[in-house]
Amino acid sequence: MATTLSGPDVESNEAEETELPDASVLEDKVPDSLRISAKAAGCVALVGFVFLILNYWPPLWHTDLWGHLAYGKMIWNSGSLPNTEPLMPLAAGVPFIDTAWLSQIIGFLGFQEFGVSSLRFLYSATITSCVALLLWRFHVRTRSVLLSVAGVATFVLIEWKQIVIVRPQLAGLLCFIALFTLLTARRWARWHWLAVPALFALWANLHGSFPVGLAMLGAFVVGRAVDVVRRTRNIRAAFMDWRVWRYVLLTQLAAAAVLLNPYGLRLYAEVLAFSTSANLDSIVEWHPLAIRMFQGKVAAIVTLVLIFVYRMSPRRVSATEVLLLVGLGAAALWTSRMIVWWAPVAAYYLVIHLSALLSPLRNAKQVVEPPKRTGLLSFVAVMVSFIFVVFTPFSARVLHGRDVNIHKVTSDFTPVAAVEYLKENPPQGQVFNTYEWGDYLLWNGPENVQIFVASHAHLVPTEVWSDYLRVINSSASWESILDRYGVNTVLIDYRYRSSFIRQMKRNDTWRLTFDDNDRAAVFVRRKPIL
Amino acid sequence: MNPRRIPILGIIAVQLIVVATIAASYARLDVDDTAKIREAVTGQPTYPTVKIEREQPLLIRPLYDDPGVVSDEELAAVLKKIRPKFDAAQMKPNHIEHALRTWRADATFEDPNVMSGAALVDFLTDHGKYLASWGEEVDPLLLQRKEGVAIRWGRERGASVHHDHWLACLTEAGVPLSEQLFTPSQRDMTMNDAVQEALRDLRVDEKETEWSALAFGLWIPPTKTWKSTDGRQMSFDMLARRLLRGHKRFGVCSGTHRVYSMMVLIRLDDEFDILSDAARDEMYAFLENVRDLISVAQFKDGRWPPNWYDGAEALTNPIDGPMHRTVIATGHHLEWLAIAPKELHPPQELIEKAADWIIANVAAQSPEQIKASFTFYSHVGNALALWRSTRPPDFWRKWRQTHPFVPGEESTQTKADGGAAGKTSAAKPPKKSKDSSH
Repeated sequence: MATTLSGPDVESNEAEETELPDASVLEDKVPDSLRISAKAAGCVALVGFVFLILNYWPPLWHTDLWGHLAYGKMIWNSGSLPNTEPLMPLAAGVPFIDTAWLSQIIGFLGFQEFGVSSLRFLYSATITSCVALLLWRFHVRTRSVLLSVAGVATFVLIEWKQIVIVRPQLAGLLCFIALFTLLTARRWARWHWLAVPALFALWANLHGSFPVGLAMLGAFVVGRAVDVVRRTRNIRAAFMDWRVWRYVLLTQLAAAAVLLNPYGLRLYAEVLAFSTSANLDSIVEWHPLAIRMFQGKVAAIVTLVLIFVYRMSPRRVSATEVLLLVGLGAAALWTSRMIVWWAPVAAYYLVIHLSALLSPLRNAKQVVEPPKRTGLLSFVAVMVSFIFVVFTPFSARVLHGRDVNIHKVTSDFTPVAAVEYLKENPPQGQVFNTYEWGDYLLWNGPENVQIFVASHAHLVPTEVWSDYLRVINSSASWESILDRYGVNTVLIDYRYRSSFIRQMKRNDTWRLTFDDNDRAAVFVRRKPIL
Repeated sequence: MNPRRIPILGIIAVQLIVVATIAASYARLDVDDTAKIREAVTGQPTYPTVKIEREQPLLIRPLYDDPGVVSDEELAAVLKKIRPKFDAAQMKPNHIEHALRTWRADATFEDPNVMSGAALVDFLTDHGKYLASWGEEVDPLLLQRKEGVAIRWGRERGASVHHDHWLACLTEAGVPLSEQLFTPSQRDMTMNDAVQEALRDLRVDEKETEWSALAFGLWIPPTKTWKSTDGRQMSFDMLARRLLRGHKRFGVCSGTHRVYSMMVLIRLDDEFDILSDAARDEMYAFLENVRDLISVAQFKDGRWPPNWYDGAEALTNPIDGPMHRTVIATGHHLEWLAIAPKELHPPQELIEKAADWIIANVAAQSPEQIKASFTFYSHVGNALALWRSTRPPDFWRKWRQTHPFVPGEESTQTKADGGAAGKTSAAKPPKKSKDSSH
């Protein structure tokens, strides 16, 4: 009874309790500046996903990375920068300006503290930062997520062969993209006056590619001046233009900021002299860009698309973009490694002209209301980012002390087993190795191993480099060269030098002591030269 | 500041910042850095120089005067055969260099057909003299460089055969630093310009560094480091390790010049400390190994085989080849042993046997045969003189005082010298009395 009587009251109370408050009337207390839209949250998720993937793939490359770690270790342990080449005995005395000393120390300290997972973490953080900056800049200029993502995809596709190699150049790339992002900002902020020189001060210590940044600033100076003169038909107008002056002053400040490095002015001399090394002529990545290369094909396709888009685009073409696209493109044709700088510029101008070309279509569908920004989406974005970070091997290492096995994260071509063999059977005297493997041998090989060459090819004396090429090309004098250098151990790869391996197998002087099935072979002289 | 306006003061401030930064950075540069920057900007290489503190090159004094190895008569017979008599036309620089190295710059001869030391020096240092011998058909021997004098070397006609051999020979001959060099178009160069050019021009892993090491060692101590044109920091340690590197068969004259140069560097290190302890120890160990190898690699008749580095195996598997290769091996080993401490010697009887064989071999050669292999036989003369703690010109001058030159003696030279050698070996002191003196 009582129950029956009291029924309506109970129902009434339950209804009151289950009825949710109208969330729409709740006040979003997240500051406006921290609220993001659903599209932005999606972009954060995309970038986070890229970050996560890069923590697992691609594998660590078998060349430069290990040499840079070895230099980092040497600098950190000695507490000073070497004046002459310290790790390749045949290059003793060669003056050495270490343009990447800071990257090397950061890499080494990361490895020392957090193991190999730190390298992938640094790598993925760098690439992700590049992607995020470009995505942001593209979106600011186009207001199209689709176009922005397409632009980033173009950038990654052109760069792929370059960014797959973990090395200080990636830090240079990040600096380049950061600079480009600043220079292409819609509004110039006061803090940019500090940001640009600070960026160059950092860049000059991370990698020797900072002249590309100075050249880009130069292109902005000249490009802006040309545009002003073209528009006003008055040369004096260029000297009166505040933007021209801004770029001039920025260039000056940047050039001065570069001097905040341990070598001072000598750094300029070094980077000017670097490209003149004759040894680089025989290294593929310093060859001119060719259509047979993957990056050559991609660059050719992107160039064709750019030509089409420029032909059709209603957007005005600035002299700066012509200078950048043609200048950096020509540099890439000169030596394929320069494509790393052309890619972000090409992707950027492709995207903004494509956006202009497609603007009539997009305007028809344009939503009048601005996208809704909420604190909740910001929270979701932060949480998603956090999850992506937590699921990296680096976090596992930091949180649980569990590191990944270095052998499982290195590229197939890394001579892991062969170098382990050499550690168990330390070579006597001079070792002959391919330059691709010199770095890994330095980093993970037997203590004080006397490598022949490594990827710092510009430091190798020309006569040594010339002898190295004669040997790996199986010239008639290969055997006497190995004798002359007192080489007792040869570490060689199957992928590119199988004919040389066949020759050595037929030679009575040498004995095959290690062979891991089509990857690496180790030969030891039957009667060592002592 | 309005971002769309840049005040004049801002522009001036930036200029001041930039100038101050560059000035501060420039002030931090040392001489080498400044040169490097100048080089990068102008594209012109820098030309580092080494201050040389002496007018005369250093001399490695022989350690023994041992008539048991070679008697006066034997030495005279050998030296007589290797007097520098060359045809005036197309004189080979390599022959002149060897002759000068053996006979030194102060050598004089009564025989007008024999070139004096001064004439040998002239041929090598004066393009006019070289031109008179070779004409215009070959390039000059002395090559003018922007800041020095280089030597044309290699297999070309009229060239010095080995890198820095010209320099090493003039140095060992005692030619002073101020000796004038007359290139095709310059007359204000001196020996110093050739030394500096060679120091700058050195490439550690080029094919031959034996003579570079020798010449630099006799000129620049106590300086022990220098820079090449490409900025590489060079040192005697690097040269030592280069000489040590590789199979012992490598190097000119079956690897024996490497050994000689190493011995010279060790002797210089005794006085000037130009090597690190580690490099010296490595070289000394190398020479001990050479000693051990030649101790078991000698044929019964006293000659050392060209493949001496194979040790005892060289006797069972000798290299077939022309006799001069055996002369090279035997003569050159005697040469470095003459300046080596006793600890690096093979048993004394092996040295004596080697000397006997080489003396007899020289005696048996006709002038034409000597002329054809002059370079190798010149080493024999120098080696034997070292074993008597003398220099060929000094000995010869003294010898002539008791054996005056007789015009026309050449016609009987071959027979007489051959006979003399045969007799003099019997005139040696008894084996047991042979003792070296320092």
